[in-house]
Amino acid sequence: MLQKTVLYDIHKKLGAKMVEFGGWEMPLQYSGIIDEHKTVRNTAGMFDVSHMGQFFVFGIDALSFLQKIVPQDISVLKKNHAVYCQLTNNNAGIIDDIIVYYLDKNSYLIVVNAANIEKDYKWIVQNISQYDVEIKNKSQEYSMFALQGPEAHKIIQNCGISEADQPEFFTIKETQINNIPVFLSRTGYTGEDGFEIITKNENAINLWNFIFENGIKYGLKPIGLGARDTLRLEAALMLYGNDLNEATTPVEAGLKWSLALDKKSDYNGKDAILKQLQNGISKKLIGFEMTEKAIARHEYDIYQNQQKIGIVTSGGYSPTLDKNIGMGYVYTVQEIKTDSIIEIMIRNKLYKAKVVKRPFVKKKYRNKIDTL
Amino acid sequence: MMVPESILCTKSHEYLLEENGLYTIGLTDYAVEQLGDIVFVELPEVGSEYSKGEVFATVESVKAASEIYMPVGGKIVEVNEKIVETPEILNESPYEEGWLVKIESECAQEESGDLLEYSDYKEELE
Repeated sequence: MLQKTVLYDIHKKLGAKMVEFGGWEMPLQYSGIIDEHKTVRNTAGMFDVSHMGQFFVFGIDALSFLQKIVPQDISVLKKNHAVYCQLTNNNAGIIDDIIVYYLDKNSYLIVVNAANIEKDYKWIVQNISQYDVEIKNKSQEYSMFALQGPEAHKIIQNCGISEADQPEFFTIKETQINNIPVFLSRTGYTGEDGFEIITKNENAINLWNFIFENGIKYGLKPIGLGARDTLRLEAALMLYGNDLNEATTPVEAGLKWSLALDKKSDYNGKDAILKQLQNGISKKLIGFEMTEKAIARHEYDIYQNQQKIGIVTSGGYSPTLDKNIGMGYVYTVQEIKTDSIIEIMIRNKLYKAKVVKRPFVKKKYRNKIDTL
Repeated sequence: MMVPESILCTKSHEYLLEENGLYTIGLTDYAVEQLGDIVFVELPEVGSEYSKGEVFATVESVKAASEIYMPVGGKIVEVNEKIVETPEILNESPYEEGWLVKIESECAQEESGDLLEYSDYKEELE
């Protein structure tokens, strides 16, 4: 039995085509993936991402506990700041990629992927042992929206939160929109400026409608998972289950920037990560664009000189670039560099592609110099 | 959108339309609507022969690749080059501009028994 978000009836009324994702029945598209994609790049779009999970971590050991379960250094996080990181197992395999928000002393919020909610919760609880900490899985109580695009900040202003009062990039604020209590964070999964908004289920419909009333003059449209995937791929943001899994480490996934390399305290998978940083890795993530007309897809094989050298983890059409792009892992780590020519096996034929730098489309975050 | 009266449809959403002794094959309006934005089309070579049910083309939407099957056996005599350059024509005009191939077929009569008239096809979808 698939789960439905509180907004299910609204999506149906908006004419959404629905799809199964991570155990949920979610909108795939409304007006069409390309139209929705361009809306987010040019004006603003809103996604129902209520399938995502929210864990709250409380207690005097909250910080030291988080330090144990992620490679990132949570101790340097300032209040109201957020950080992208991974839950790693003892071999540094990625159990999930998550965002940790520092809400208040001894109080953190973790946002996790929908399909991993139960797995993550189990793993986190398993790790508690001697820590004085309480984990509350509130995923069933909260809804979550992502308002993304260059006009997003104007819409939030129109909703009553002035530019000066809006959280800056990768920070979070507990505030109210239309008298509805929300967690408002400057985060997202599109490569555009924008917000993620978490609220209690009972307020979700109200909040969704209120933001639309205030956003319509900026061209705000509802956006489905189809465009969410093309947007995140252009920004080379990872999709768990495609680009990341438990047999892959953050070092292999090109996520070194999200590791605290000098972190003193111990964490799950630390030895494995340090070893890879010192001795190198046997597979690495690459980005590529097709130079011959064909579309690479998840799980297609990557070749070079008639040898299979890797596998595509994400691939598709980029509406912004009007090119076919993809990411994948190659096992010939030393040989493959930017501009290397590779081939993708598509329906028993090899098509040429060129290794390119990620992201494919430059991120346009506001109030921040993009260093990633 | 006008749906030609005499088309026959497969359960895998191809249509077959006889015109002056040749048969045009394309995708039904339902098929292109379900696929969403079509961004890539791979067509067979003129002169190649396929039997009924064989994959002869691939159509890719933003979301996924779909294989297209022959409604009846035959020989490809013409392919729609326009849709290779501009795949969105398939979404806009599946019956007029957005056809896939034209074939010669000697077995069309005997192999089209399981194809559905458009009204029956629509009914099956419900």
